[in-house]
Amino acid sequence: MSGIRVALVGNPNVGKTSLFNVLCDSNADVGNYAGVTVERREGQLSKRLGPHEPITIVDLPGCYSLTALSEDESIPFRVLSGAEGPLPDAIILVLDASNLARNLYLALQVFELGLPTLVALNMVDVARDAGLPCDAQALCARLEVPVVETVAREGRGARELVAALADLRKRARFPQSVVPGPKEPDLAEALQRLAPLGVARARWFLTSAAADLVTARDAQPEHAAVLERLDPATCRRAARQLIALRYARVDELLDALGHTQLLRDGAPTMSFSTRVDKILTHRVLGLAVFVGIMSLVFISIFSWAEPFIGAIEGAIGWLSSTVSSLLGPGLFTDLVTQGVIAGAGNVIVFVPQIALLFLFIGLLEDSGYLARAAFLLDRLMSRLGLHGRAFIPLLSGYACAIPAIMGTRTIGSWKDRLVTILMIPYMSCSARLPIYALVIGALFVSHDPWFSRAVDQGLVLLGMYLLSTVSALVAGFIYKRTILRSETPPLVLELPPYRLPRLRNIGRQVYERTKDFVRGAATVILACTILLWAVLSFPRSETHAGEGGPTQIARSYGGRLAQTLEPVLEPIGQDWRVGVGILGSFAAREVLVSTLGLVYGMEADEDDPVELRAAIREARNPNTGAPQHTPLSGLALMVFFVYACQCMSTLAVVRRETRSWRWPLFMLGSMTLVAYVAAWIVFQGGRALGF
Amino acid sequence: MAATLAGLGVGPRGTVVAVDGDDAMAIRLLEMGFVPETSVRVVKVAPLGDPLEIQVRGYHLSLRRREAARIRLRLE
Repeated sequence: MSGIRVALVGNPNVGKTSLFNVLCDSNADVGNYAGVTVERREGQLSKRLGPHEPITIVDLPGCYSLTALSEDESIPFRVLSGAEGPLPDAIILVLDASNLARNLYLALQVFELGLPTLVALNMVDVARDAGLPCDAQALCARLEVPVVETVAREGRGARELVAALADLRKRARFPQSVVPGPKEPDLAEALQRLAPLGVARARWFLTSAAADLVTARDAQPEHAAVLERLDPATCRRAARQLIALRYARVDELLDALGHTQLLRDGAPTMSFSTRVDKILTHRVLGLAVFVGIMSLVFISIFSWAEPFIGAIEGAIGWLSSTVSSLLGPGLFTDLVTQGVIAGAGNVIVFVPQIALLFLFIGLLEDSGYLARAAFLLDRLMSRLGLHGRAFIPLLSGYACAIPAIMGTRTIGSWKDRLVTILMIPYMSCSARLPIYALVIGALFVSHDPWFSRAVDQGLVLLGMYLLSTVSALVAGFIYKRTILRSETPPLVLELPPYRLPRLRNIGRQVYERTKDFVRGAATVILACTILLWAVLSFPRSETHAGEGGPTQIARSYGGRLAQTLEPVLEPIGQDWRVGVGILGSFAAREVLVSTLGLVYGMEADEDDPVELRAAIREARNPNTGAPQHTPLSGLALMVFFVYACQCMSTLAVVRRETRSWRWPLFMLGSMTLVAYVAAWIVFQGGRALGF
Repeated sequence: MAATLAGLGVGPRGTVVAVDGDDAMAIRLLEMGFVPETSVRVVKVAPLGDPLEIQVRGYHLSLRRREAARIRLRLE
């Protein structure tokens, strides 16, 4: 760690990420702030931009204000005041030159901190195109801080910024703030009482307290005591006076810079976007385009990822057979191939889908369309109690829960993010498809004419997808009103001007998110794969498939467990063989097919398990001689898989995203229970009705 | 009934008189720039009838009717 830390602060959509990427090459350290889901990024200032001492750039989450209106939003102030990590030595404040009317509000709050501050006046090109005057000199004179013009997207101004940063630390700086006048008596009184907290903290407490949102951990005892001396009504009036006074100061600055007249006529930078929105948020066309874009996202994760996944599986298979031919048969070989290599494969296989989803989210977010999608969908999502942004992750859940759960990072509120995460595994992901296909192919054929005549195979499949969709919505509805109860999140959503997405930034985000998944989930997935392999392989036995008698897998601990559990499986129409399959499919749902194959003592081809389908159809109950599997038991099994969280990778990624085992275990427990009850209702209900 | 941003309709301009309420949302709206004497305009209504697209302080912001109804206006 280098000694000097510089915080990068700015509104959302002002090019802060671009600037960070320009300043720090590609060596960002991405993590999370403790206890919240806000992303923490740090990087070393690049040497390319001129000689300097080692400097760490801390990229703060984009914010419109430093006031803490939620726990996530308390992060910027906590970092800037030294409550979270070391106090920064300096601040680079990124201002959007094309939107100073709002950006300067944050600037005034930052100046209250009294840290050496350097302004990066970004997007000067956009501002000039829109006819807004940008004069770094004038702004510098008014704000009394150094101002450097930048166009971060093109890397312009980065060298000048680094040079200015070197001078900056020599300048002492004092907190600056608006001063209450005779029209603001409440503010004067409140600030006088809060004076012991220091300039910035006093003002931060005042506005945060007015919103009833100073969280316990932010208020140290002595601060809380000061706060208690303040009458709540005075506090609220004072906060309003403070905000109004800051904006009055912003208006003064705008006047001096010659922006006021231009703003009176509207939003100069929005003229192009307003024209584009005539189509993209049009009452009919807008929804059509939205459906088109979402279909594209969905199809891409569902099928464009397929060749990559195939290639990865091919490579893993090749590696596995190469290793086993090198090592020769034996326990160690099995451990390496079926445990370690298969486990690594289980991790890497998700990379194409994650990369594709984040590529799309990046394109949509960077271009400004994601905000429009939320604008279009908000009415529907708010009925459910969620933010419009929850839509894309939920839709992605149909393809794969892993990228979808990572995609919830775009949702601001922690509780709503958790509700969405808990909903996603109910969406029927593509890995359930082979199971539906196997069961439908094996059991829903016309050997039981009066059942299957009415039930077309396709309708059964459609039914499973409908069931999963309705269940996800119901689950969300329930969670939102019970354990994760919270108000429907307010929608205060900026609709930024449309911009051409920067592939460099998106590529970097895709890389960082994918790396994060591989690093964060790999250990758990690998460990689970090895554990499952062991459970299904020990104790070793000498007989081999085809010699008659129980197969190796039937004698394994897993096989014995399933046989012990048969009394539990029987009421949902399943036998111990399916039990072993369910256990094995925990590694990945599609493994059910190959595990069932092992149970029946055959090599099952995952793509077209003809033999296995026949074996399932032929299987007889040893006691009664009746068919072991009927369409009804098949239906119960599929319903079980609609609900069961039979995917350790999902659990691993939920643990990674929620930073605890609590939520993944809750997810596993609740979903398994729901799955069992639903399968029981289907099987017992079906039998009662005479099927 | 005093005029509010929710009742302004697409097109005409209004001037903020006050933001009602004592909660976090009131502070948030004020900090996003809906301070008294600010000029605002409804640009568009979302296809499903809610939320609204609003122009304030040179940028565009989306608010639901429920929140917009807390912003009291004077018609220009």
